[in-house]
Amino acid sequence: MTSRLSQIASHLVPESMNHHHHHSPGAKIGVKSDDDVMICCAVRTPITRGFKGGFKDTVPEDLLAEVLIAVRERTKIDPSLVEDICVGNVLQPSGGATTSRMAALYAGYPVETSLYMVNRQCASGLQAVVNIANAIETGQIEIGIGAGVESMTMGYGSSAMAAQSSEKIPRGSQDAADCQLSMGMTSENVARDFGIDRKAQDEFAALSFQRAALAQKEGRFKDEIVPVRTFFKTTNSKDAKNSKDSSSNKEDDEDHKKPVTISQDDGIRDGVTFESLSKIRPAFASDGSTTAGNASQISDGAAAVLLMRRRTAKRLGMPIVGKYITSVVRGVSPRVMGIGPAVAIPAVCKKAAIEVKDVDLFELNEAFASQTVYTIKTCGLDTNKVNVNGGALAIGHPLGCTGARQIATLMNELKRRKERIGVVTMCMATGMGAAAIFENEQV
Amino acid sequence: MFAKHRTTGYNGYAVQWSPFFEHKLAVATASNFGLVGNGRLHILNVGAGPAGGVINTERVFDTQDGLFDVCWSEVNENQLVTASGDGSIKLWDTTLADFPIQNWHEHQREVFSVNWNLVRKDSFLSASWDNTIKLWSQNSPQSLQTFKGHSHCVYAAMWSPHSPSLFASCSGDHTVKLWDTNSPAPVQTILAHGNEVLTLDWNKYQDHTVVTGSVDHTIKVWDMRRPDRELNCLRGHEYAVRKVKCSPHSGSLVASTSYDMTMRMWDITTGDMIEIHDAHTEFVLGVDFNLYRDREIATCAWDESVHVFTPRCLM
Repeated sequence: MTSRLSQIASHLVPESMNHHHHHSPGAKIGVKSDDDVMICCAVRTPITRGFKGGFKDTVPEDLLAEVLIAVRERTKIDPSLVEDICVGNVLQPSGGATTSRMAALYAGYPVETSLYMVNRQCASGLQAVVNIANAIETGQIEIGIGAGVESMTMGYGSSAMAAQSSEKIPRGSQDAADCQLSMGMTSENVARDFGIDRKAQDEFAALSFQRAALAQKEGRFKDEIVPVRTFFKTTNSKDAKNSKDSSSNKEDDEDHKKPVTISQDDGIRDGVTFESLSKIRPAFASDGSTTAGNASQISDGAAAVLLMRRRTAKRLGMPIVGKYITSVVRGVSPRVMGIGPAVAIPAVCKKAAIEVKDVDLFELNEAFASQTVYTIKTCGLDTNKVNVNGGALAIGHPLGCTGARQIATLMNELKRRKERIGVVTMCMATGMGAAAIFENEQV
Repeated sequence: MFAKHRTTGYNGYAVQWSPFFEHKLAVATASNFGLVGNGRLHILNVGAGPAGGVINTERVFDTQDGLFDVCWSEVNENQLVTASGDGSIKLWDTTLADFPIQNWHEHQREVFSVNWNLVRKDSFLSASWDNTIKLWSQNSPQSLQTFKGHSHCVYAAMWSPHSPSLFASCSGDHTVKLWDTNSPAPVQTILAHGNEVLTLDWNKYQDHTVVTGSVDHTIKVWDMRRPDRELNCLRGHEYAVRKVKCSPHSGSLVASTSYDMTMRMWDITTGDMIEIHDAHTEFVLGVDFNLYRDREIATCAWDESVHVFTPRCLM
């Protein structure tokens, strides 16, 4: 009788429907299917401070190569099985397309493994993973890697901006003009419009730093971090060049270039308190509330996530980390771009047919304490579930890398806590919010 | 005209009008929605003219397990064959005793369809959830042939109305296969739908045209000579399509039933849905056209009722 019953049940609620037209909510939480798109590996380099930190002399493609190598080595996957790699990046010239392809080839992936870049601002690393998940879901590929990389040391500033820009566009649309606001200004707009005062921002920032410092001390990032061997120049070669001493030349620079192994996030500072943050001057408006202490750090880093269907993972004996459920991106007003996650979080939960309170952990990118606090308040999030190991305020926000980095940290922490449902979410410059749901299956 | 008959205690699975008598209708039913318990074969008489709409039970036959399909013999006006959930196939005579005059038990799982050869009329097919199709003669105690090829439950195996040895089958493996009784392996396989194919029927007027219905909610029209893509895809049903039947009176008219509790009628040349019969209150599993009264259709459903009526489009 039960087989007749399940036969009929499968007619009514079929596992996979290739030709239907209505909205698919994505993989079902809590229900395992061989069609599920799975994460088999999620790793990241340490995140270091831009201009000053451990990767200040490391080109982004070198960082990307490290995480691509780590994916290959940790899972023992035959790299020729990886059909496509999507890399998130925001600041590199040409989006980093050529250098990233070179990195993949160097990392041991054959010429047959294709690669492309994606730029959805601060969500690029997440978008890369979602793109690969969608390609697998539609059957375009079987196995892919979603990654993200950014060297803000090398990319931040005028090199990322066009020499000429439109006059009529910002003139003709206020929203378009608002896209040119500095991120700090949008943070001030959020703080002012929604009444998030300096005190609330600094309190939250202190929490982020304290959590990150504790997590680092307890080695909670150990499993997700790929240590990187690179070089670090110990003197500022610009100063040497500026001196009139003509004997300062390339050889001197080489002397100061020492090999290092970077294995820790160096943006995390111990001993940060509400009091110490209160002393920092506002950075974007003299009467503002956004400071260097409650704004995300400028950083360098890379991360990569290996994805394939469950049946493929079983067939290849791949480790199972977790399942991609679904994701959303929603546009918001550019002048308050930070509110993005407050729109995206409820939207993605609705899509997955769960309540916001059903989520066990959030990786909510801390672009600014202002918008993070706003999101927590608006969505009624339990702060004990948000950025439990600190966030971008303490760890840093290497733009194109962040989304993928958050996935690695999220899955790691879900495993540690033996919990199931996690959300990665962030705001984006020019006014967007993204959120993705993942289900942990590590035991 | 709209007449209802209750098959009280039994949920309808299949109906077929007699090829010999315009008023005779066979209904295969099962208790408890066919999930567990016994079955009942109903022989109904449907009045016409002044008695139009009056349905009487001529007799019933009880079986140990649910009945999933029935087909009348093409050579003996009183005989018919049933497909049972216990894997057995039984031959009945409506003028004789309460028990079957023949009982074949070879299938390892539920038999989901039985279909009598329309050209040579000397044999019939069975399709089973044991993934096989069997060929039988009523005069032989064992099956004549077993056709293996499907990798999942076979839901139907239907003879071509045009060729003595050709038949088509549909399966949970998403395919439709064309077979010739002269060879053990399928002549052709069509990847027909993105999900289980629950039903198929041959167009009575176009040699090579077959219609399929699937769990993917759609009905597809195929030219078996061009298996790479369908001629038409009919959408409208809101749940899996359970049965399709090509009209014996028109090459363009097809009736279909579904878990969406409707029977719908389609013009397969235009692709239009021309009518919805919404009167059932449960899954509709059976439909058949009366061969003699070309405006009369019968349906049966899990709501324990058989409907005999003239659809608006045929009035």
